[in-house]
Amino acid sequence: MYGRVVGVTVVGVRGHPVVVEAHIGRGLPSLTLTGLPGATVQDARDRIRPAVENAGLEWPLRRVVVNLSPGSLRKEGPGLDLPVAMGVLAASGQARARRLEGWVFAGELSLRGTLVSTPGMLSVAIAAARRGSKGVVVPAANAAEAALVDGLEVVGAPSLRDVVGFFRGAWVPAPPQIGEPARDGRHAVDLAEIRGQAQARRALEVAAAGGHNILLIGAPGAGKTMLARRLATILPTMTRAEALEVTQLHSVAGLLDAGGLIRERPFRAPHHTVSIAALLGGGSSSLRPGEVSLAHHGVLFMDEFTEFRRDATEGLRQPLEDGRVVVTRVAGSAEFPARFTLVAAANPCPCGFHGDAARRCTCPDHRVESYRAKLSGPLLDRVDLRVVVPRLTRSELLGEATGEPSVAVRARVEEARARQRRRYGSSGFHCNAQLPGPAVRREARIATDARDLLAEAVDRHALTGRGFDRALKVARTIADLAGADTVGSEHVVEALAYRATEPSGSAVRVG
Amino acid sequence: MSDDAPEGASGPPWPTWPVGFVGTPEDRSAALVLSALQGLTPRRLLERAQQHRTASAVLADIRRGSAGSERDRAFARTLDPASIGAAADACAARIVTWDDPSYPSQLRHIHDPPVLLYVIGADLPDVGSAVAVVGARSCTEIGREVAFGIGRALGVARATVISGAARGIDAAAHLGALDARGGTVAVMGCGVDVPYPRGSRELLERIRDSGTIVSEHAPGTPPFQRNFPARNRIVAGLSAATVVVEGATGSGSMITAEHAMEFGRDVYAVPGPVTSALSSVPLRLIRDGATMIRGPADLIEDLGLAPEAGAGPDLAELSADERRVLDRLAGPTLPDRVAAALGASVPEAVAILMRLELRGLVRNVGGRFESTLRGSAASG
Repeated sequence: MYGRVVGVTVVGVRGHPVVVEAHIGRGLPSLTLTGLPGATVQDARDRIRPAVENAGLEWPLRRVVVNLSPGSLRKEGPGLDLPVAMGVLAASGQARARRLEGWVFAGELSLRGTLVSTPGMLSVAIAAARRGSKGVVVPAANAAEAALVDGLEVVGAPSLRDVVGFFRGAWVPAPPQIGEPARDGRHAVDLAEIRGQAQARRALEVAAAGGHNILLIGAPGAGKTMLARRLATILPTMTRAEALEVTQLHSVAGLLDAGGLIRERPFRAPHHTVSIAALLGGGSSSLRPGEVSLAHHGVLFMDEFTEFRRDATEGLRQPLEDGRVVVTRVAGSAEFPARFTLVAAANPCPCGFHGDAARRCTCPDHRVESYRAKLSGPLLDRVDLRVVVPRLTRSELLGEATGEPSVAVRARVEEARARQRRRYGSSGFHCNAQLPGPAVRREARIATDARDLLAEAVDRHALTGRGFDRALKVARTIADLAGADTVGSEHVVEALAYRATEPSGSAVRVG
Repeated sequence: MSDDAPEGASGPPWPTWPVGFVGTPEDRSAALVLSALQGLTPRRLLERAQQHRTASAVLADIRRGSAGSERDRAFARTLDPASIGAAADACAARIVTWDDPSYPSQLRHIHDPPVLLYVIGADLPDVGSAVAVVGARSCTEIGREVAFGIGRALGVARATVISGAARGIDAAAHLGALDARGGTVAVMGCGVDVPYPRGSRELLERIRDSGTIVSEHAPGTPPFQRNFPARNRIVAGLSAATVVVEGATGSGSMITAEHAMEFGRDVYAVPGPVTSALSSVPLRLIRDGATMIRGPADLIEDLGLAPEAGAGPDLAELSADERRVLDRLAGPTLPDRVAAALGASVPEAVAILMRLELRGLVRNVGGRFESTLRGSAASG
């Protein structure tokens, strides 16, 4: 006796269709899984029989062989519980094989036979739609995310019994809640909540407008975290395609709570003790997206940047350059999108009070120097804006008005982004931050006096060679914010204010 | 005892080395060994010298075991003066002893003068043209720039800057002198060939090339902490005047200034905010009678040196807005405030501040901006 259904295994964020064949033959009662099942699928062997029996269905007391194909692909995840169970039920004649054709099954079973919320169901639905399936059967808790995919019938079933009932015409699923939340693009925090810090707020606006990464240097309590959190609120509103990608990543990571589409740009703030696998993605058996991917299309905030392990920060170079991470393990490799804006924050020195107005720095010289050495290097070369965030005194705080709300800033940011898209057209770049050095010099359209000013800054040791390109990119973005076609000297001059590589400038500058 | 007063001048009212203490080659060798002993302070050595009159006699006394620590005695027995001489040769250091005519005369009048000096580079300056600039290691940006300015002004005026090559004020003062191609002397608390502090390695190389490095300790002596306060008496002793830029209570700059006062040299201090811990030494000194200076110009004037030609930035080229901003920057000011005062946007204010910073008229201190012009120029 033979049965055949289709399931999906998720590798990285991508769902791969898996044909599940079940054969019931003579022999002692057993269940054998073939076709390269990973540890998490082998794990399901002992779970499926009780689930079937507790659902009021019959487990064939014979030798059951289930094959998962293609055999070259390692299958992972509990989502294959349901297709394996359905395959056996089809083979034993408890479900009509003809009815199951064109459907894709996914979901984890409990011993009681209920379907529990399973990660990656959005990826399953996308794979099903790509395959041209009629519909997808998923746990009821995941119906909303699966329903985000157009042209696919979604059955959200609470239990295995209901799935069988559905195909016998004995049970009708509730229509899935279409998960487009009403609070469209509204964030829990707003830029208007920040008092003072006009220069830092402006730097955030520039970072958002040009897609630049940013380094915030300031004493503890200056408000670096507050500022970073609000960068996500002034980035352009996500397109539906972007929102789907973000939702898919959170679904795969099992971080999607009942809601459907994620409309807010994510903000991730891993602690500096984070492991490489948690930061970049990985894991021993199934490969999970890391913090860099959970921050996809959003903000990755690394507070105490100098405290992160060196291999962790080095590992950020690939995602910062390519917008994706490839995680390779013995079990296989997976690719996760990871295009984020990096906000790094650091104290100006180990004690945190170098250059502070009120407190005195107590660091020995050599520690300040070795600390500053950490604030340079290949990774920080990809950070275009470096801003000092002063710790405001009480009187300064009280005297400052609150600033513009995020909505107003975001409108300017979106306009500047539109200018960049028009300028770069089909060249493959989306924003100024992506341009490599030579391309910036070619594309920036800089006025002669502005170029002279930059060259003078280099002559005065106020800029390094790399700093030149960074300043030019930032100036281009400032010009875009101002709606100017040509980068003028006023834009260059402002860009130079965001070059505080040295916290409060340690070198003595010669007039 | 006329032999206590060399050069026939009236000696200081405290004991110094007897004439002829390092008179013979044997005494010279003995003095080299003495300079390598750690347990023997200059003061104690000087007491021995009053008794024994020559370096070889003092050394013999120590070797016999009547002075110095147990470790020093063991060390003194094994030490070969030739190897110290060779080490000095290896780092191109000259040895100047109390009985050499080239021994700096200003040091003959201080407490516990060094019996010998290891000198690398240019000759030590005359007292009239040497000024010590000292202050805190972890100084403020302002202090650093003031020290740099003073060092530079002294360099331009052909005076020699004496300091301790430490980070912070010391380094800035040396750099200022080097920047003006002036002379500068780094007085070390370790051997002349020991690059300490590590952060000053590059600075010490520059000083070796165009200035002087000097120490009373044998080459290779590690930077023992106890050597540093004693080193300050040489800094003060080599100089006609001592300038303190910033210093917290209990810091080495206070010791240097006290030495200078004892030796009858002038003391100058640059004031700072009364609330800052780094102002405590300068303000204390001013209260006790040191001369307050507002910057390089005051010092040059008071010392009667030729002022720097063509000094002062040209303010005529500034735009009206730039002038207005510059005039308002009395103390560290947030760009928000500058923008509000001008009625301009923050980006506009930031752009103006950056133009001024590029001209060196304004600096960024931890996110706040302030004028680099002190007193006279900015108020005009």
